[in-house]
Amino acid sequence: MNQVACTVLENRELAKGNFLLTLRVPRQFSKPAPGQFVHLRLSPEGDPLLRRPYSLEGFFERRGIRAVRIYYSVVGRGSRLLAAHPKGRELDLIGPLGIGFAPAPKKTAILVAGGRGVAPLLFLSRRLAEKKRRRVFLFGARSKNELYGVREVKGGRLHLATDDGSVGYEGSVLDLLEREWNEHGHTPQTAEIFTCGPHGLLHAISDFARARGARCEASLEGPMACAVGACRGCPIPLQPGADGERYPAMCVEGPVYDATAVDWERLP
Amino acid sequence: MTPARPVDLSVSIGTLRLRNPILIASGIIGYGKEYERLVDLETIGGIVTKTVTLLPRAGNPPPRVVETSAGMLNSIGIENPGLAGYLSEKVPLLRQLPCARIVSVEGEDVEEFQELVRGVDGSGVADAIEVNISCPNVGPHGLRYSTDAGMARDVMTAIRPLTSLPLIAKLTPNVTRIGEIAAACAEYGADAISVVNTFVGMAVDSRTRKPILGTVLGGLSGPAIKPLALAKAWECAQAVDIPIVGMGGIAKPVDAIEFLLVGCTAVEVGTAMFADPGLPAACVDGLVDYLRAAGADSVDSILGAMEVPAGRAPIRAGLPQRETAHESRRSGGNA
Repeated sequence: MNQVACTVLENRELAKGNFLLTLRVPRQFSKPAPGQFVHLRLSPEGDPLLRRPYSLEGFFERRGIRAVRIYYSVVGRGSRLLAAHPKGRELDLIGPLGIGFAPAPKKTAILVAGGRGVAPLLFLSRRLAEKKRRRVFLFGARSKNELYGVREVKGGRLHLATDDGSVGYEGSVLDLLEREWNEHGHTPQTAEIFTCGPHGLLHAISDFARARGARCEASLEGPMACAVGACRGCPIPLQPGADGERYPAMCVEGPVYDATAVDWERLP
Repeated sequence: MTPARPVDLSVSIGTLRLRNPILIASGIIGYGKEYERLVDLETIGGIVTKTVTLLPRAGNPPPRVVETSAGMLNSIGIENPGLAGYLSEKVPLLRQLPCARIVSVEGEDVEEFQELVRGVDGSGVADAIEVNISCPNVGPHGLRYSTDAGMARDVMTAIRPLTSLPLIAKLTPNVTRIGEIAAACAEYGADAISVVNTFVGMAVDSRTRKPILGTVLGGLSGPAIKPLALAKAWECAQAVDIPIVGMGGIAKPVDAIEFLLVGCTAVEVGTAMFADPGLPAACVDGLVDYLRAAGADSVDSILGAMEVPAGRAPIRAGLPQRETAHESRRSGGNA
């Protein structure tokens, strides 16, 4: 982890209010793992006051140029400011931060993405492809134009779901997971689940995994102040008995965490 | 070109000599280790650790932080490993730090404060103890000790005989007359006063109609509170003759200088550091530049150097007109 200056290479609106940001990072930025994040300072003027954490969609290295990619939606002051950053603008970044996904070498990886939560799973999917691991990608969104990065999924099986039925299965990606699990005879010994998306969806997926005794890692999202484990501002609430009376910090013990241990009712 | 004259930035808090007056506030950088790749601790005066309590604390339920206009509300709830955890896990980390180590403690009652002071004194790595009698986020004792001069006196009286380390009483700004609390702490053994802890605040989500923080109320920090904090620091400086460590909303070097001008001997940088880990070092550089520009060779020359022009005086309802400690010092009183 380092604090580095990066440069906007591209800041493209993929769909209304949803952007793909490509940042050139210097050599001091170490190679990130899928699931790790960066903490971006959006203004040197102190407004917004805090940095914003963004999950990485990918890390690319070509002809000596290193870059990271981020998906973000315009939801508040910080992201509105980010959307106005033109190509060439310099940004202050701390990263890579946190703990990423830890897929087992011999198991089939079932990747379950909800909307913009697809970002770290695209990164994971590429990494699994490089290692020629068995994988299947299940991707749900509200409609066709919110299936960001779907073309980035290469190799392995891909199944889509949309709430409005504009493409793929009409309904929840959770249904796709259930069908995948049953039709392919997956077991906790042969497969594991990696997921990211709205916390309501992650809750349902973790219930699915727990009922079957399957390993399930979720990438969590929440406000952070320091992002290096010092301020204790980003607690992950755990199920009673999961790990005693303790709140792991999302920034250093997450953002990827055992989904079946999380108390989703208490996670905002 | 002649080389720049050296500027003496060192200041004293009781028997603790700091190489410069820029400290990092409690709750910001843990025990120093967490920020080792982002902050060069050799450049600053020292750090104040995350508060240590007698027993481990898991902290408060989420959400614990929310950004507000020019500020941050927090409700961490002093998540820490307790005194035993501090001694076994944190003391070895603190020993390696290349700056002063001020250990923050908070007890739920006088006996706990005593046990903590004994334990921290015995740990051998503390250069001073910040007595946190002002956290708004723990209950039910919460703010009692620094909203009541009598209770502040009880704590100070009980712990003063237990250590020769400098004791810095950290006060809450959530009181009407902070000078009276500061005076009680000074009279009963505090070597310094640090002000301010956070201001009690809240944030509401109009969409869900729910409070945003898990504990409804939290503590506000950041640039939003700087004018409020400056006033409290100034009030304390008027009320006591011991050093004041000022903090609250420092986001740029000139903010730190303002705290020194109103009578603080040192300052603590906090929330703004989350965005800018280089801020404490920038404050040191900015202070040197300021002193050079003023032709001063020592930071002493600006401590309390704010001058209130004749005819300007604060109007405080309910307070009788009286000569302040500051004025009596200037007029040749107890220096």
